[in-house]
Amino acid sequence: MAPKSKEKPKTSASSQPPPAIEDLFTTLDRHIQRSEYEQAVKVADQVLSIAPADEDAIRCKVVALVKDDKIDDALSVIHSFHKLPIDLGFQKAYCLYRQNKLDEALECLRGRERDSETLLLEAQILYRLGKTDACVDVYRKLQNSEIETAEVNFVASLVSAGKASQVKGALESW
Amino acid sequence: FPPGFETIPRNPIVLDLAYNCIEFPVLEERKKTERKGFISRLWGGRN
Repeated sequence: MAPKSKEKPKTSASSQPPPAIEDLFTTLDRHIQRSEYEQAVKVADQVLSIAPADEDAIRCKVVALVKDDKIDDALSVIHSFHKLPIDLGFQKAYCLYRQNKLDEALECLRGRERDSETLLLEAQILYRLGKTDACVDVYRKLQNSEIETAEVNFVASLVSAGKASQVKGALESW
Repeated sequence: FPPGFETIPRNPIVLDLAYNCIEFPVLEERKKTERKGFISRLWGGRN
């Protein structure tokens, strides 16, 4: 993820007391480290009540909802911020995948940079769609990406594609 | 008896690896910077 250079709320510290955003992010980060996702969402909301378009807060809220298994909520948050220039396409595609809206999920990935996370999700969607040959092709592209345990899914896709005989060779070259 | 082992077909395991790609942004620069005093610097990293 690209580093963000956002306007810091520090600049106008002349007359008013400094905003509590830094403190909120400190608390937010602590909740994240402790996997306290409900709390994290609350603190992200506090940040957003002060800075309604804060990208970090929005991202934190979406990710915390996903990690808390609240996929519907995550999607509606993504939707509510869709006018902002914040790329949440991968997160949206993942949520759609979790809701088994597989064609929509695939559509959402279209046009994205084919980096390893996009390929991983695409492969999982194709697998669920039963497009096992296409799925195998995507995993082959991931072969040199050093993603831990991705070979497990690669094997599954080979077996499902009726290519079980290729598993041994594929694993040796993984 | 006992019956011998035999292999049975099963669905292959698929892991949700995309889940691991859903990551929180790095918040270090957004957090309150802790100003470490002389003493805590002496204790070097024990906090």
